[in-house]
Amino acid sequence: MTGPALVVGELHDGALSDATKEALGVAQSVAGAGEVVGFLSGASARGPAAEFGRYGLARVLGTEDPRLEGSVAAVLAHLVSVAAELVGSGLVIVGGTTLGRDLVAHLGVRWNAAVATGVTSLTRTGETLEVRRPVFGGRATETRRLEGAHVAVATRPHAFAPPKESPQAVSFTEIPMDGIPPSFWTPKRLSVEVAQRGAGPTLTDASIVVSGGRGVRGAENFHLVEELAASLGAAVGASRAVTDAGWRPPGYQVGQTGKAVSPQLYVAVGISGAIQHLVGMVSSRVIVAINSDASAPIFKVADYGLVGDLFQIVPALTSEIRRVRGIA
Amino acid sequence: MEIVVCVKPVPDAETRLRIGADGSTMDIEAVKFVLAGYDESAVEQALLLKEANPGSKVHVISAGPAPRTEEVLRASLALGCDLATWVELPAGVSPDPIATARAVVRAVSAAPHDLVLCGKQAGDDEAGLFAGALAELLSIPDFSAVLDLRWDPGTSRLRFQRSVEGGLEKWEAPTPCVVALQQAWNDPRTAKLPAILKSRKLPITKVAFEAPPASSGTTRSTKFELPPPRTGAKLIEFKTPEEAAQKLVKILKEEAKVFP
Repeated sequence: MTGPALVVGELHDGALSDATKEALGVAQSVAGAGEVVGFLSGASARGPAAEFGRYGLARVLGTEDPRLEGSVAAVLAHLVSVAAELVGSGLVIVGGTTLGRDLVAHLGVRWNAAVATGVTSLTRTGETLEVRRPVFGGRATETRRLEGAHVAVATRPHAFAPPKESPQAVSFTEIPMDGIPPSFWTPKRLSVEVAQRGAGPTLTDASIVVSGGRGVRGAENFHLVEELAASLGAAVGASRAVTDAGWRPPGYQVGQTGKAVSPQLYVAVGISGAIQHLVGMVSSRVIVAINSDASAPIFKVADYGLVGDLFQIVPALTSEIRRVRGIA
Repeated sequence: MEIVVCVKPVPDAETRLRIGADGSTMDIEAVKFVLAGYDESAVEQALLLKEANPGSKVHVISAGPAPRTEEVLRASLALGCDLATWVELPAGVSPDPIATARAVVRAVSAAPHDLVLCGKQAGDDEAGLFAGALAELLSIPDFSAVLDLRWDPGTSRLRFQRSVEGGLEKWEAPTPCVVALQQAWNDPRTAKLPAILKSRKLPITKVAFEAPPASSGTTRSTKFELPPPRTGAKLIEFKTPEEAAQKLVKILKEEAKVFP
């Protein structure tokens, strides 16, 4: 694991995503005085790659090709491993997105890398990388040692601060897109239904999540949860009771069989706190619970609790937040 | 269609976690093992595809030690899977997800497969690395975070959605491929008693574990820690909903420092 750290970038609305910025922050701290090199690929890469320069990177490698829009993970893994070899990098760092995790999985085989995902801390000691990562749904933390010539890690969303800025000019080196088997171009991404602007962040991206549970008592009341979320700029989640009852689609479910989230703030509204739900949110930094039942298990994992009628508290909370934040 | 489902036995979510005496393992000897949550979804998905496409077969494959691995394979047979293969790991061998993919790839290659299904991640190591590694070993495409998977016999294509950061994507892919499922079923099937009894007598093909090549990067756990026991919520006292709201906002701003 010698040479520069290679950070694989992803774009969001044409700019480096928050996940990529977190990966850059980690790379800076692990690299120390060593170099951090960027990687970017997609239908548009050369232009957006300049943003890496804002964080002190001088070199970016990548591929600009329209075929990369909606390509499979194996294609990215191929390009990244070629780029890593070209600059002599033994360490690839990527943000904790779906694509980031997929890339790391492929590099584990294609690049014979020692790999880990969901890492919340990273320490490099010579040729060894030690990472910490939540396991068992956040109910335990594992320290894992990665050894070998090649190491690839994906960070956990929201675990790291953004990188320090020290602007400079960036050179872009094109990685040729050859040696990819034809079968990898046959799958087709037919459409992307982008979350509507103003609809708030997605569950796994959001730094604040507001979830509703059985205590909301019906689909017709779920707007209370959504209005509270909107006042905070938060994503909306739900417990399994809610998605089972069809009050909200399964995509809203936070928990063991739904999505695992680790936001800065998690607000549980009318959620009792079954273990099924807890394993999906217990690693949130601050947890607030609003529930009429003081003995609900959710209060055991929450940091702050409001015991009372959510139908009174939630509207009052929404209007107080809107007032403080100056939202009309 | 020929469907292979890869599953992993994991400790039941209700299990009280304990750290082993050496600090570098989890003490999971006496706990109950079940199909990993998303793997249970994958088995359900495989059986739904089989029912929708007559003549299909579902072959379940797992790598792990006795007796937990045999138990989840028999549970899958009881649910309706047709064949089972067990890559038996010696006691004390706990490969990381990449090494696990290497351990099962021969069994998967040997089984006819239009589609290889698995859960998007297991509830113990939470890695989400297996599907991508297996696809890379098989040199076929893979898709993660998949919902709403269907087979279109007219075009011989799989159609599905992926729930990723950028939004909801619609895809169409030829077979063979690997699919890591994010689908949660509200109501997965449960095995009936006669099927459970019958599954106990069904054959399971055993395959010996081969250690991965030494050239690979290695990873190992060196320490596990449990979070300090949560002391329980600080309950905010209030007389009116407005007071509750004001106090909570003040705490989020000044004490917790998480107010946007």
